[in-house]
Amino acid sequence: MITNEFIAKIEGHGSLNVNWENNTVKLHIHEGERLFEGILVGRTAEEAHWITPRICGICPIAHNLASLAALENALGIKINETTKLLRDLMKAGQMIQSHVLHLFFLSLPDYIGLDKGTELAKKDPKSFKNALFLKEMADEIAFVIAGRNVHPTTTVIGGFHKIPSKKELEKLLEKIKKTEKEAEWAAKFFSNLKYPELKVDLELVSQKDGKIVSNRGKEAPVDDYKQNLEEELRDYSTAKFGKFQGREIMVGALARLSFKKNNDYLPVQAGKLDFNNPFHNNLAQAIEIFEFFKEAEKIIEKLLAREMDTTITKPSENATLKGIGAVEAPRGGLYHEIHLDQNNFITYANIITPTVQNLTSIEKSANALIEQFKEKSIKEKEKLLNMLVRAYDPCITCSVH
Amino acid sequence: MIKPKIAIYDFTDCEGCEVKLISLRERLLLLEKKVEIVNWRLGQERFEAGPYDIVIIEGTPITQYEIDLLKELRNKTPILIALGACAALGGIPAIMPEKDRKYWYEKIYTSQYHPRGIDALPLSSYVKIDFIIHGCPVDENEVVRVIEELLSGKKPSFRGYSVCFECKLAGNPCRLLENKPCLGPITQGGCGAICINGGSPCYGCFGLREEANIPGLLKILEKITDQKTIENYLTMFHSRNIKL
Repeated sequence: MITNEFIAKIEGHGSLNVNWENNTVKLHIHEGERLFEGILVGRTAEEAHWITPRICGICPIAHNLASLAALENALGIKINETTKLLRDLMKAGQMIQSHVLHLFFLSLPDYIGLDKGTELAKKDPKSFKNALFLKEMADEIAFVIAGRNVHPTTTVIGGFHKIPSKKELEKLLEKIKKTEKEAEWAAKFFSNLKYPELKVDLELVSQKDGKIVSNRGKEAPVDDYKQNLEEELRDYSTAKFGKFQGREIMVGALARLSFKKNNDYLPVQAGKLDFNNPFHNNLAQAIEIFEFFKEAEKIIEKLLAREMDTTITKPSENATLKGIGAVEAPRGGLYHEIHLDQNNFITYANIITPTVQNLTSIEKSANALIEQFKEKSIKEKEKLLNMLVRAYDPCITCSVH
Repeated sequence: MIKPKIAIYDFTDCEGCEVKLISLRERLLLLEKKVEIVNWRLGQERFEAGPYDIVIIEGTPITQYEIDLLKELRNKTPILIALGACAALGGIPAIMPEKDRKYWYEKIYTSQYHPRGIDALPLSSYVKIDFIIHGCPVDENEVVRVIEELLSGKKPSFRGYSVCFECKLAGNPCRLLENKPCLGPITQGGCGAICINGGSPCYGCFGLREEANIPGLLKILEKITDQKTIENYLTMFHSRNIKL
């Protein structure tokens, strides 16, 4: 029983099942089901954003924010500007946290011949130090705004239990500005890696201005997420496999950047992105680290320029009691839908995670990889397949939930 | 010096406690100088099949595969450590009662689905555990303390005080005195009252302190809130630990 049958350095338990006779790959998902949508039913509205971060310890802030948005929509709450800015700052911190963890501790070893992230300390101490600075910075944003680096403690429906003082924000800003050069370094570092040259006809999908948009010109309102993001069962998986309007899609950093070509903050390395190569999701994440550093600076400057509003907005009297919360999480579009009864108890919950949407695309890209690298040995192909899965940064714990 | 061989396992859970291990940063490197991590799926490709000197397990053994693996690891390992609330108490996944699982499988996956999960229980429901590092998630300092105490040949001790003690030190006003529910008095310290510092209640993720006075706390809670709320608090992390 003590084996290494699961893919290493990804969140959760998955394995690749390759049929070398007809060159097809299936991504088996073995994670146990926790049934979060059932756990939520019968609990009160106030507990949802406490419970859902425990879906995933790598992106808990994203789940916290998605639940809060769903509940606030259900309760007819319009949050104040301070709350909005602080939550955006939490999101920026979450993006940096998750990307740094994935890039340096899970993915990078593939590209420079290491077994694990901490071995970089010996091989390239300067780069390792930079990576630790970035990790520390991202954790600090989460600590100052969300109360803890994993599983937030400060947020509440309608606002915050507790917000940071301006002095704390000033200190945070100073530190972010000081660490910015490491963020820029990360974008450069990942743009100099050699990525396998894989070409896949990728349909990239991201949330944008209340819509789900695709680089094929297709779109749908976020409120219609359920009709547009279909999930299907596979007998080899405890996670469902998602599609957008019936097609395989890729979500996450690479997809987001495909819609942001004119963003002021993008470092020059963005020009190197190949949107038809899923391995470039790693480069896209490194670019986003810098982008979210700039974003965090901008948000803190805005916060410092205004009165901090500590009010927690109360539910409105004519609330619909049904709400959807959509958030761009580190790995792509995340959707929480929550319904309440008159007494504030949850009667229905539905959660679609980014990795559910990516699983279908991982299989598509894996099949393309076998086809395009046919001259390589089976051993080499297996290594590339594992690298490919990691490049997607799947969160299998999220996908099963 | 021969370094002790360590394996780190994650059963069904959010992996947030392992994220806390990585958040140790420089201190993780220091730990790696004292031990040899020979099997850690999340962190490395390197894999040795054992036997190990210490096995650290995060998560609940929810599938038959995990239950069998847990028993095998127990048989072959002198020191087995539970990492975090899911492994120690069942945690959030244990909120789902075993009898309701079938209903939810059908509701979430349809009746065509063949489930793998049996029931979310703490590790101690199946095997003896040598030590627990509590928390949802665990606290970085507690992880370092426990491992260092183990390496120096000491049996790590639990904090002999409740969360209230640390909450007072942090300067928080008492939630119970403000008529807000809280499990601080019956919960073991070690977390620094981090949730209460952030404005949230204590839901008891660090487990019961020794000689916890549950009836005493219930009496106070009954004065400030309704039965359903009390039940919700006591089942957040403790649904398999405290019988109501």
